Amino acid sequence: MIKIDNLTISYDGKRAVSELSLELVPGEITGLVGESGSGKSVTALTVMGLLSREAKIESGRVCFDDEVIFDAEKGKDEKLLRSYRGKMMSMVFQEPMTSLNPTMKVGPQVEEQLLIHAKEKYPDRASRKKSVVEAFESVGLHGAEELYDKYPHQLSGGMRQRVMIAMAVILHPQLIIADEPTTALDVTIQNQIVRLLKEINEREKNCMLFITHDLNLARRICTKVAVMKDGKIVESGATEDIFTSPQTDYARRLIAAVPGRKSEKAASSGADNDTGRKKESILKVEDLSVFYKERSKKGFGRSYKRRVVEGADFEIYEGETLGLVGESGCGKSSLCKAILGINKEISGKIINKTIRPQMIFQDPYSSLNPARTIGWQLEEPLYAMDVIEKDIKTSKEWRREQAVEMLKRVGLDESYYNRKPHQLSGGQRQRVSIAQALMTKPKLIFADEPVSALDVTIQDQVLDLLKSLQEEFGIAYLFISHDINVIYRVSDRIMVMKDGKILESGDKEEVFNHPREDYTRELLAES
Amino acid sequence: MINGKPNKYLIVGSVMTGIVLLLALISVFWTPYAPTKMSASERFMHPTFTHIFGTDNFGRDIFSRVMKAIGTSFLISVFVVTVSGLAGVLIGAVTGYFGGIVDTVVMRVVDAVNGFPSILLALVMISLLGKGRWNIVIALGIAFTPSFVRIVRGEFIRLRDADYIVRARLMGVNSVRILFLHILPNVFSVFWVSVMIGFNNAILAESGLSYLGIGVQAPDATLGSMLSDAQGYLGTAPWYALAPGLTIVWMVLGAALMGEGISRRNAVR
Repeated sequence: MIKIDNLTISYDGKRAVSELSLELVPGEITGLVGESGSGKSVTALTVMGLLSREAKIESGRVCFDDEVIFDAEKGKDEKLLRSYRGKMMSMVFQEPMTSLNPTMKVGPQVEEQLLIHAKEKYPDRASRKKSVVEAFESVGLHGAEELYDKYPHQLSGGMRQRVMIAMAVILHPQLIIADEPTTALDVTIQNQIVRLLKEINEREKNCMLFITHDLNLARRICTKVAVMKDGKIVESGATEDIFTSPQTDYARRLIAAVPGRKSEKAASSGADNDTGRKKESILKVEDLSVFYKERSKKGFGRSYKRRVVEGADFEIYEGETLGLVGESGCGKSSLCKAILGINKEISGKIINKTIRPQMIFQDPYSSLNPARTIGWQLEEPLYAMDVIEKDIKTSKEWRREQAVEMLKRVGLDESYYNRKPHQLSGGQRQRVSIAQALMTKPKLIFADEPVSALDVTIQDQVLDLLKSLQEEFGIAYLFISHDINVIYRVSDRIMVMKDGKILESGDKEEVFNHPREDYTRELLAES
Repeated sequence: MINGKPNKYLIVGSVMTGIVLLLALISVFWTPYAPTKMSASERFMHPTFTHIFGTDNFGRDIFSRVMKAIGTSFLISVFVVTVSGLAGVLIGAVTGYFGGIVDTVVMRVVDAVNGFPSILLALVMISLLGKGRWNIVIALGIAFTPSFVRIVRGEFIRLRDADYIVRARLMGVNSVRILFLHILPNVFSVFWVSVMIGFNNAILAESGLSYLGIGVQAPDATLGSMLSDAQGYLGTAPWYALAPGLTIVWMVLGAALMGEGISRRNAVR
């Protein structure tokens, strides 16, 4: 049993974790759920003794059974912690690409654990290699022998995460902390990884701390859940108890914010309201294939064309939301970029009746110009319009007026006009992106995973905003997401994409209730 | 301020450069003695209160000469950096953003110019253009342009596919505007540091050329030419060489510290 007692940590005077106490029981997975900034990762790092120097640990103790491995009053015993790390406790991080050493083959990386902690048990190279291969197999990696000599970049995201897990498991530690281990992965892989963690927990009977911002995910494998907000645990208990009868408002909000097929928000969509009126087609794509020029690995960089989208056929009608769902790498973003003219290597026909469709990107941190104020960025599209449509003379005052109005429309007040992007949070930046996309009142907007990088409660607000703007301005969206629940909530019609091909498309209810393709069924099983 | 603590580099660097600038500015209106006034009786005087840096072989006050020399070196270096900086930005922005055949051709030309050591290049150009301070500006300006082009071009290549730039294009913003109003502001911090470095190198290069005798001509003082003159008297009148030498060190150190301070301040964000 592992106990965390009264942990308080602050950075620069601000409290990141306040009086946190948690108990982990062997054979159970305990979930630590909270939005970004709630202090979950800080807690995990403290247990591992990996906190950065700027952190001030004001109080707290961590005990493994009866042994105190960390006491705030006595300070950090690095030697003790180091002997514990890897052998008694290990961690799986969120981003496998940056957590694995890109210059080392994966086999030797995992082997390092054995070299550091279990040299007596595995004195020679052969026995170590065997152990590593076994570990790979135990985490579901096929072809483990060949995998040993591969580099991280040669593996897929899911495989890399499995390697990380193998590294965490190989010495059979008493505690495994998984910090958002699946956030960077696709939905189908997410489930496999999560199931794997449960398997390991049952097999090894160790303690597991599963950290996530996704309540749904926690529900799937955690016996107990602790909900964190602003550094404090606001509610904790058996998972089902929390879901069926949440005690606190915050827990209630988190549960309500999770988009699901059964939630009322998914009810009516624009298409139903307008039955009878024939909708105009504003975008038509015929047999569109998109290519990327790539350097060939053989020869002297001879470039060849890689096809990322094959024979796409679809239409978008005014005012509707067409959801495009598929795993990352299936070609959805490439499709958009081709239609928008960003990628010119295409074949097939695109008939676009709208002027200048806009795009909203996934990453709110790179969507805005860091060197310019919000107001300036909002006015740029107007300025561009001014230059082109020369009969409209826009004045500085008019532009500012429009910008401020749009800010208000997306829920930000006038004071944001003079701020710079780095002063805004992710959710706020995404709103600014939306506002910016709307400045020229386009009839078509491509939204590429616009809410994937945001916290659940913010996601809700942004999706509501997009919906109301659609109703007000009559905008059509091509809404891309890998999250089937979000797609269900926002779309009128749905397209499913895999490996560059559009597998299936149709009205939302039809696709959800009567999927034609196996792949679609698989995706739906995630909701 | 970095992390709430004062930015030592920027402060010290600015102070050092400030002092130098101040001296240069004052020298336009006043120097303790006329820099070219010779005095046979006062030759090779040790540094004293009347002559802070002593006098040279012609009895001229070294401090006054140094003041004027700073001004000259400073002015030339500023011009060199301005010329090569502007050229670098224009060429780098256009080739970096648009790429293609123009980029390839221009970069090969830039590579060619870069292949020559700057002093050698300057020598060649001086031999074509003749000696004198403005010709140095042109020569060094051309010699320094490639590095600026490289840096600016690199940044533009990096930023042209950034999400917010792609969106700007989608919104119909025209290329010129994108180049100079959208991308350039983001390049400034990197650019500014290289300007500081370039300035330092310009001071050193100008001093070097003047030392060799092809730069600023006598009787005008420049730090390099003073060093050259002082060479023969190192044993007997070391202050003659120390004055300009240490001044060069001071100027270069000041600018380097400022550059470091600026880059640290930008890196924090």
